[in-house]
Amino acid sequence: MTISNRDTFLQHVAANLGRDVIVEGVKRPDWKHKPHLNVFKNHNVEQLIDELEKQCENIHTDFRRTTKENLHQTLQEVLDAYDADSIVYAYDERNEVYGLDSYFAELNNDGKDAYEWSTSNKEKNRQKVERADVGLTFSDITLAESGTVTLLNDEYNARTISLLPESYIAIIPKETIVPRMTQATTMIHQMQQENNHVPSCVSFVTGPSNSADIEMNLIVGVHGPVRAAYIVVD
Amino acid sequence: MKVSLFITCMCDIFSSNVGKDTVELLESQNCDVDFPEKQTCCGQPAFNSGYTKDAKKAMKQMIKAFEHSEYVVGPSGSCVGMLKEYPKIFSDDAEWYDKAVELANKSYEITQFLVDVLHVTDVGSTFTGRVTYHPSCHMTRILGVKEAPVKLLESVPGVELIKLPLGEDCCGFGGTFSVKNSVISGEMVKEKVRHVEETKADYLVGGDMACLMNIGGRMTREGLDVKVKHITEILNTR
Amino acid sequence: MSIKVHEELSYKERVTDGVENDFMRQAVSSAQERLKKGRLQAAEELGDWEDWRSLGEEIRSHTIEHLDFYLHQLSEQVEKNGGHVFFAQTAEEANDYIKNVVKKKDGKKVVKSKSMVSEEISLNEALTDIGAEVVESDLGEWILQLDDDPPSHIVAPALHKDREGIRQTFADKKGYDQTNKPEELALFAREQLRKDFLAADIGITGCNFAVAESGAITLVTNEGNARLVSAIPETQIAIMGMERIVPTWEELDILVSLLTRAAVGQKLTSYITSFTGTRLENEIDGPEEFHLVILDNGRSKIIGSEFQSALHCIRCAACINVCPVYRHIGGHAYGSIYPGPIGAVITPLLDGYEEHEELPYASTLCAACTEACPVKIPLHEQLIRHREIIADRQKRTPKLERMMMAGFAQWASTPAAYQLSAKMARTALKPWSKDETITNGPGPLKDWTVNRDLPAPGKQTFRSWYKQREKEKKHDN
Repeated sequence: MTISNRDTFLQHVAANLGRDVIVEGVKRPDWKHKPHLNVFKNHNVEQLIDELEKQCENIHTDFRRTTKENLHQTLQEVLDAYDADSIVYAYDERNEVYGLDSYFAELNNDGKDAYEWSTSNKEKNRQKVERADVGLTFSDITLAESGTVTLLNDEYNARTISLLPESYIAIIPKETIVPRMTQATTMIHQMQQENNHVPSCVSFVTGPSNSADIEMNLIVGVHGPVRAAYIVVD
Repeated sequence: MKVSLFITCMCDIFSSNVGKDTVELLESQNCDVDFPEKQTCCGQPAFNSGYTKDAKKAMKQMIKAFEHSEYVVGPSGSCVGMLKEYPKIFSDDAEWYDKAVELANKSYEITQFLVDVLHVTDVGSTFTGRVTYHPSCHMTRILGVKEAPVKLLESVPGVELIKLPLGEDCCGFGGTFSVKNSVISGEMVKEKVRHVEETKADYLVGGDMACLMNIGGRMTREGLDVKVKHITEILNTR
Repeated sequence: MSIKVHEELSYKERVTDGVENDFMRQAVSSAQERLKKGRLQAAEELGDWEDWRSLGEEIRSHTIEHLDFYLHQLSEQVEKNGGHVFFAQTAEEANDYIKNVVKKKDGKKVVKSKSMVSEEISLNEALTDIGAEVVESDLGEWILQLDDDPPSHIVAPALHKDREGIRQTFADKKGYDQTNKPEELALFAREQLRKDFLAADIGITGCNFAVAESGAITLVTNEGNARLVSAIPETQIAIMGMERIVPTWEELDILVSLLTRAAVGQKLTSYITSFTGTRLENEIDGPEEFHLVILDNGRSKIIGSEFQSALHCIRCAACINVCPVYRHIGGHAYGSIYPGPIGAVITPLLDGYEEHEELPYASTLCAACTEACPVKIPLHEQLIRHREIIADRQKRTPKLERMMMAGFAQWASTPAAYQLSAKMARTALKPWSKDETITNGPGPLKDWTVNRDLPAPGKQTFRSWYKQREKEKKHDN
C-alpha cells in the first residue's frame, strides 16, 4: 500500500495555516452546540416505533409490526404482496433466533428459491442477487427519526443483498431502534476507538432508491430496489 | 428622548417627504428630533462595489456627523444596516473602531426603533387601504428586522395587509447591480411586480426607498395602478 | 470540460441565453420553490435549526484549521485498510494518476457515480483519451453525458432539461422508443446502466465526506448508484476535494444531517454509504484494490485567506436554490461547473479572476444565500471581498468607474459638496425629466431606464425643508 506526495501536500496546507505540519495531538473540542442530542431525547421505545412508522410514509416504505411468533406469516404477506418467489438473504445468527431458518427451508420446499449468500461462490451470488425478487437482511441499528436501517456490511451481510434485488425487506428487532443517526455513529465511533477497526462498509438505508433528476419528479426505484418493507419484531 | 435623524442620501434627494414623515412620526411619539447637517451618504454604493477605501471616507464623515447623537434613526433598513457593518469594516483600525461600534450600537431603522426601543405598535395612523408589504433584503437579512414593520402595519385599523408572495425575494435593485447587470435586474423586478399584481393590493409598502423606486419604476413603466408608499408615509397619516 | 462551462460564449451572451430559455427558467423556478420549501420545512421540524447551523460551522472551522492533521490521519487509516492514497496538487497530477491505475488494470469500462471534483478536473476526457469507456451512473449525469452537456446545478445536474428533450436524447443515442414519462425514462436508464455496472472493471466515485479516524469514504445518494459503483467493480478509485473531511463518525452525523436537509429537505437520503476501501477476506462485494485521490487544485491558496470559510462548503446547493439571480439565468450562465452564490465565490478562487471577473457582480447582495447556508458561510460578504480585490487592490475595474467612485468619496466626505449637489440634482436631470419621471436616462441611468422609470429628484431636498421648518419654528417662538 502506498501514500504518495503527502509531505509536500501537507506542507502547503500548513504553510497557509501559518505553521508547521501537525500530525498528532489534535483533539476535537467539546462542541458548544449539541442540538442532535435533544432529538427524541425522552422517547420510550413505543414512541420511537411511532416515529419510525410515521417516517415510513414519507419514504415510501411499507411498515409492518409483528412478533417473533407471527414473523413467518407477516413475511409471507409481504412476499405475496410483492409477488415474490425468490429471496437472497444474509447469514445471520438471528435467522435462527427469529425462526427464519425454518421459514427459508419451507420456502425452498414449496418450490420457491431462498438463497443464503455464500462467502465463497461469487458467480452464484451475483447470479442470484441480480435476479432475486427480494433481498432480506436484519437491521443492525434502526434510526427512528429518518426511517433508516443501518447495515454493518461484512462477508455475510453483503453490500448488494439490500441493493440489487427488486425489493428489499429489513427485519427490525425492536431493540435495535434508536432516536437518530447520532446513536449509530456514536456506536461506530466507539468501535473505532476500541478496536481501531470498523466494518468495511456501513450502509444507512432509508427506503427504496429514488431520483428526482427528471423535471424534479420523484421516481421511486432507480438503481436500487423499487420497493422496501420494514418489519419491526417485538 | 433625543433622536438624530439619519435621512439617507436617497430620501434627501429623491423623497424628502419620507424624511418629513419620519420626523413627524418621531415627534408624535414625544421624541426630540434633530438633524445633524454634516451627514452625507453611508458609503454603501462604494463599499458594495468593492471600493472600500473610498467608502471609508464617507463612513468616517458619517461617524463624525453623528458623534454627539444619543440615538440615530433612519427610514431605511439598508442604510442603517450599513452603519451596523461599520465595526467589521474598521475592525483593524484602532483609531476608528470604537467610534464605529458606538455609532452601530445607537443606530436604528425607524420601525425597529418604534417597536423595540419605544415599544409602540399603534402610532395612531388613520390610513385606509389594501396594502402589501415588501420586506426588503437588507432590512430582513442584514439588519434582522422582520416583525416590526408588520406589527406596525397590522396595528393601523384601516390597513388591510395582504401577504406578498415570495416577498423575501430580492426585487433586483442591488445598487450598481441594476446597471451592471441590467438584464437580470430587469427580469427580477418584473417577477416582483407580477407578485405585487397577484395581491391585488392598492398600495405597495416598504421600508427602503431604493427598492420601492425600483419596483415602482417598473410598475409605472407597465402602467399599473399600484401606489408606492414608504412605510412612514402610511404610519404618519392622520 | 474543466471548471469552465460554455467558455466559447461571453458572460453577457450566457446570461442572454439563460434569460431567453423559457423552459429552463420555468424548471429552475419550480425546482427552487420545491427545494426551498423542503429545506424550510426540515428546519422547522427540528425547531433549533440555528443551533444545528452553529454546530456545523464549529465543526467545519475546526476541521479546516487542522486540515493537515486530519488528512494525515485519513491517509494513514486508508493505508492500514489496504488502500493507496495519492495526494494531487493539480488536476493534471490527479488525472495522470488515475489514468495510470486504469492502464495498469487494463480497465476497459469505467463506471462513475456523480462527482463534481471529477468534472472540475475533466477526468472523463482524460480517461476517454486513453481509450477507456466512461459511463456516468447518476441519472442526471447520464442524461448530460449522452447529450454532451455540462451540469447546471451541483445537486440536480440536469435541472435545465425537460422530459421531451431527455426522451429525444435517449432515442438518438440509445435507441429508446417509448414515451417521455419520467418513470419510463428512468426504467430505461436502470436497465441500460445495470448492464454497465455489471460489466465495469473500474469504479470511480467522489466523496461527500471522508471520516478521518477510520479512513472511511462517505457517499450520499438517493439512487443507489454510488453503492453499486463501490460494490461491484474490482478496482475502485475515490476522488475528493481535500476539504471534504470530518474528524470522526460523530461529526459525519451532523454534516450529513445538515447536507440532506439543506439540499433537498430530506432527513437522510435513501443511501448514505461509508466504505473503508478494499473488501475483507471472504467478502465478495467491494473492490479488491482501492485508491483515494485527494485533490488540492487551488484549494490550499484559500486557506489562510479571507475566503477560508468558503472551504466549509458541503455542496448542498441551498444557496443556489434561494438565489434569485440563478433563478433567472440558470447554471450555465455562470460559466462554471460551480454556479450560484457559492460558485461565484469559489470559481475565481480556484480558476482566477481573469475569466470569471463578472461572477462576484452576479448578485444583488440580497444575502438570501448567507441566510440559507447550513454552515454559515457569509457568502454575500465574500462576494463583496472579491469586488474589493478586483476594484481596490488589483484596480481591474474601468477607469471611469474608479474616477466616479473617487468622486463619490470626495462628495460623501465633504458635506458642503454633498449639499450643493443634492440641491443641483433636479436641475442636472431636468433635460431627461418629464412629468417628474425619467424614462430614458443618460449614462449609467440608461441601463436603469431600460426596464423601469426613475422618478425625477424632488422639488425640495429634505434638508432645505428642514431648514425652513427650523426657521419658522424660531420665528413662531
